[in-house]
Amino acid sequence: SEMSKDLMPGPYPRTPEERAAAAKKYNMRVEDYQPYPDDGFGYGDYPMLPNKSLHERDPWYQWDQPDMRHNWGQPMHWDFDMYIRNRVDTSPTPVPWHTMRKHFLVFLSTMLIMFGLGEIYPSYRPVGPKQYPFNDLYLEKGGDPNKEPPVVTHYEI
Amino acid sequence: METALLLNTSMILTLTIILTPILLPLLLKNPQNSPANLTRTVKTAFLTSLVPMTLFMHSGMESIISTWEWKFIMNFKIPISLKMDQYSMMFFPIALFVTWSILQFASWYMASEPYITKFFQYLLMFLIAMLTLTIANNLFLLFIGWEGVGIMSFLLIGWWQGRAEANTAALQAVLYNRIGDIGIILSMAWLASSTNTWEVQQTFTSTQTPMLPLLGLILAAAGKSAQFGLHPWLPAAMEGPTPVSALLHSSTMVVAGIFLLIRTHPMLSNNQTALTMCLCLGSLSTLFAATCAITQNDIKKIIAFSTSSQLGLMMVTIGLNLPQLAFLHISTHAFFKAMLFLCSGSIIHNLNGEQDIRKMGGLQKMLPTTTSCLTIGNLALMGTPFLAGFYSKDLIIESMNTSYLNTWALLLTLLATSFTATYTLRMTLLVQTNFTRMATATPMNENNKAITNPITRLALGSIMAGLLITSFITPTKTPPMTMPTLTKTAAITMTILGIILALELSNMAHTLTQPKQTTFTNFSSLLGFFNPLLHRLTSTNLLNNGQKIASHLIDLSWYKKMGPEGIANLQLMATKTSTTLHSGLIKAYLSSFALSILIILLVY
Repeated sequence: SEMSKDLMPGPYPRTPEERAAAAKKYNMRVEDYQPYPDDGFGYGDYPMLPNKSLHERDPWYQWDQPDMRHNWGQPMHWDFDMYIRNRVDTSPTPVPWHTMRKHFLVFLSTMLIMFGLGEIYPSYRPVGPKQYPFNDLYLEKGGDPNKEPPVVTHYEI
Repeated sequence: METALLLNTSMILTLTIILTPILLPLLLKNPQNSPANLTRTVKTAFLTSLVPMTLFMHSGMESIISTWEWKFIMNFKIPISLKMDQYSMMFFPIALFVTWSILQFASWYMASEPYITKFFQYLLMFLIAMLTLTIANNLFLLFIGWEGVGIMSFLLIGWWQGRAEANTAALQAVLYNRIGDIGIILSMAWLASSTNTWEVQQTFTSTQTPMLPLLGLILAAAGKSAQFGLHPWLPAAMEGPTPVSALLHSSTMVVAGIFLLIRTHPMLSNNQTALTMCLCLGSLSTLFAATCAITQNDIKKIIAFSTSSQLGLMMVTIGLNLPQLAFLHISTHAFFKAMLFLCSGSIIHNLNGEQDIRKMGGLQKMLPTTTSCLTIGNLALMGTPFLAGFYSKDLIIESMNTSYLNTWALLLTLLATSFTATYTLRMTLLVQTNFTRMATATPMNENNKAITNPITRLALGSIMAGLLITSFITPTKTPPMTMPTLTKTAAITMTILGIILALELSNMAHTLTQPKQTTFTNFSSLLGFFNPLLHRLTSTNLLNNGQKIASHLIDLSWYKKMGPEGIANLQLMATKTSTTLHSGLIKAYLSSFALSILIILLVY
């Protein structure tokens, strides 16, 4: 059988009595209950719970549903399927976010700049220009046999 | 004897032997498969696959079989074509040898598992997919194997499916592999449209190959072989059982990406930009993984990062246009990496599930065989002269030092070589030496043939494989023959420097002279901050925006703004302006009536 009409989510609560009734419906205290703002996106009176994933809930507590770390009757987040243990983890990181971002971008940019420098100044075995015998192949290249060939050396001693 | 017939028959026979445990229960009345049965099957297949390998080593014979075509389009041929060349004929015995040892080990490791036969069947299905990938001559069959190993990786990483971290890790593996699949499908599409074939032999062009298919192939290899940028799935894959880590994520599956690049290397060798990209990506991966491995405390994660680092080294070799050397490194790496994982599995089980090296110590006396083989594996990994790793690793470093390449890539690879020695020695010191830090009552017993036989077999392979393979396989490209002494000893020098660094760090840790957390240790132990930054940002944005666009925005726009509310708003605007005319004065109504009659008379 379906849930009765007064247990289903309803329209945005406008009066304090409606807010109290909605908080009771969702098993929350009136002080904790905070609906989504009424901007036409269709949230109604569903409570706006903090955007914390299930990773942050105590793993050792005896929850009613251990895999969802959820007790019976506890209000679920609107985006609960995003915050389950296989998806987004919002738990605090050991290192603050801005530090992580800065250090990672520094590492990445250093690597890319150094790779660029490595392309401009590559590493190779020491080589010299090729030295052909017989005065740089003067006769083979069609030089005049009667004239004195120019001396071409690509080395220094 | 007809060598071609023998070659083809024995290769096909190997594949058939492997398929038997999967197909036979479907045909027989009472399906009976057992772990011992499956281990014996793989051993038989290994012995059968030695025949084509010996044939190749003796006569250099290769063959291509092309059978049954899938006729669904007139102009496009997709045959089942199998290529028995140097790479597939060498890879078959090595993969089968490693798998046989791992299956024998798994019969002890997974003995308390209720679904052990299903586990062995999954491993066998993975092996079939991997061998299909290896022997494929066209990209279609290779892709079938590619997807097969991806799916089996997902199923095997998430083997203990009640564990949320294992499911997350399996999902991570599938998603990162999928991103790589975009690459291979892109290159297949380009090849099908430009060259009208998926056969590897027909993709060779004498002019420079365009960048697009090569980018696709490099993306595919980066995804499958965990290069930097698509690497987080490999350390996370350690959530699976140790036999899975030993088979998939060290010796066979992760080399599939490199194997793809080896198969398509004629396309790559034309394009120098693509080769440089491989080189830079590989060197970045190898250094990043080695940096992360230095501060890890889980023994399996250290070996996983070591795998990632060696994969980067293989990518570097591809970037040097030396596919045969990359394949040599794949072969030698398979032996000692699988052995390292099996040794770690033995240690973990003997310590009743303890994986943290800070809680181990003094195991040299308690588990002599395992730790001796661990030492042999670590020495082979470091590139100790004349063990297996030396023949491939030293050649790679020598070729790097004597070629024309990006200087920073060279420096990164040399640094990664010394870091390899560092984290290896750290693991050895913390696991095997010094006083023991474990719980006092542990079920420590390695006196079981199922543990010692595979490990010692693989240890023998780690020692002999390099020498055997290089003695019998002639290189296709001339290796650098002469170089200065410093260049020749570069690899061993960097390794010794790494060892000195490890000893110095261990000394500093004992005397507590350095602070516990510095910027660099944080960067290293949190894996370069890559995981939290990218995983949290992308998934949050994607899921949030998906929810907002799909349900809120679309609902709001179509059901409200385009429909009732939108029309109502328009009507409201019009009525608000026209309500001012409803004044109720007869004079106004009569004058507007007269005005409209006048206008109609004037117009007509």
